Amino acid sequence: MKSKKRAVAIVLLAVVTVLLFVGSVLVKPPGAHADIREQMRNAVLHDDDRISLFGLLDVNPGLIAAFSVTAVFLVFALCMRIFVIPRFKIVPGKLQLLLETAVGFFDNLAKTNSPHRNRFLGAYLFTAGSYIFVSTLLELFGFQAVTVTGASVALPAPLSDINGAIMLGCLSYLVILSGGIVSNGLRGVGRTLKEFSLPISMSFRIFGALLSGALVTELVYHYMQLSYGLPILVDVLFTLLHALIQAYVLTMLTSLFYGEVSEPVLKKQKTQKTQKAH
Amino acid sequence: MPLNIDWQQILLHLLNFVLLFAILYFLLYKPVRKFMAKRAEYYETLDAQAKQALAEAQQSRDAYAEKLAAADAEIADRKKAAFAELEEASELHRHRTEEQAKKLIEDAHASIEADRTKMLQEARHEITGLVAEAAEKLVTSDTTAQAYDRFLDTAERGESDV
Repeated sequence: MKSKKRAVAIVLLAVVTVLLFVGSVLVKPPGAHADIREQMRNAVLHDDDRISLFGLLDVNPGLIAAFSVTAVFLVFALCMRIFVIPRFKIVPGKLQLLLETAVGFFDNLAKTNSPHRNRFLGAYLFTAGSYIFVSTLLELFGFQAVTVTGASVALPAPLSDINGAIMLGCLSYLVILSGGIVSNGLRGVGRTLKEFSLPISMSFRIFGALLSGALVTELVYHYMQLSYGLPILVDVLFTLLHALIQAYVLTMLTSLFYGEVSEPVLKKQKTQKTQKAH
Repeated sequence: MPLNIDWQQILLHLLNFVLLFAILYFLLYKPVRKFMAKRAEYYETLDAQAKQALAEAQQSRDAYAEKLAAADAEIADRKKAAFAELEEASELHRHRTEEQAKKLIEDAHASIEADRTKMLQEARHEITGLVAEAAEKLVTSDTTAQAYDRFLDTAERGESDV
């Protein structure tokens, strides 16, 4: 009986797939008229898909996505703070374990890479890591927003917007610089300024990684022949993967450089230098 | 600006991130970290208590071991003293017994000597008595001349025998 039911289910699935395939060939997709080069250009420069921010300003969809992510985090964090955290137990449940693992991971990352000063760094890494991971996953859901021209656009990852990426790269650099100043004063500033390419490299690394992901996805979805099975790999797995990788890379780099510039100067080095000079 | 870089939007992104930082820090990161620190402190307290209890147990064990050792030593001392006392008592008893035995022997010797003396005296008395009786008989049965003759006969016989 079971094998018969299974055979019927497989046949039905095959029929539905064939029908969908035929339907998609016969019916032209709504974006069929759009030029792929135009779509790619819009994904980078957002010339035609700007969204009005409360009627005050026309902004890139990435900024709206960033505010949406913050709103999602606010609701989630409030729920956790009100309903979950007060009920924390010594032996954690699944949700408590998830929260503790996330906090503990970034806290340990800060402590490992910057053993001398890490309290603020841990909080920053937690925020940046969570933001990159969750905001990158946002593009999986394809939440729609209306542009100023009245068209519909799927909200992209906020960091695939150059402005968002520059903000995060430069802010991370400023955090590193602040660590250097607080720990070593002018020497810390000198140490940080030596890595002057950091804000650019961090900004464009994250921008390039997330934008390329978005562009590849756009490309795959543009061609109907590629939109069977492949999106499972390209869209879901790749998005998950680069969300994880980018969150890890930026937090790791920030903590490493922060640890380096905030490391106290050893007196031995001075004496060795003076001995060498003599 | 090239690449659609817009400072206004960068600042808005920054504002958004600062808001996010505040939200996550005060609502999630700080309370969770606080709880984790509290739990770590709880386990450290438990660990410290366990270590303290272990140290106390070890201390009690050492104290008991020390007491046991002292008790063993005391038992050994007392045993030794008891053995010495016992030996002394035994020696005293043996000495007394020997003295008693010696006294008994001496008494026995004295008694035997007394008996012997007494017996000799009694025998002497008896012999004296018998001699006297015999002499009396002689005296009473014969005349003096007869006795004198008999005496001379007896004396002659005695010489001839010699």
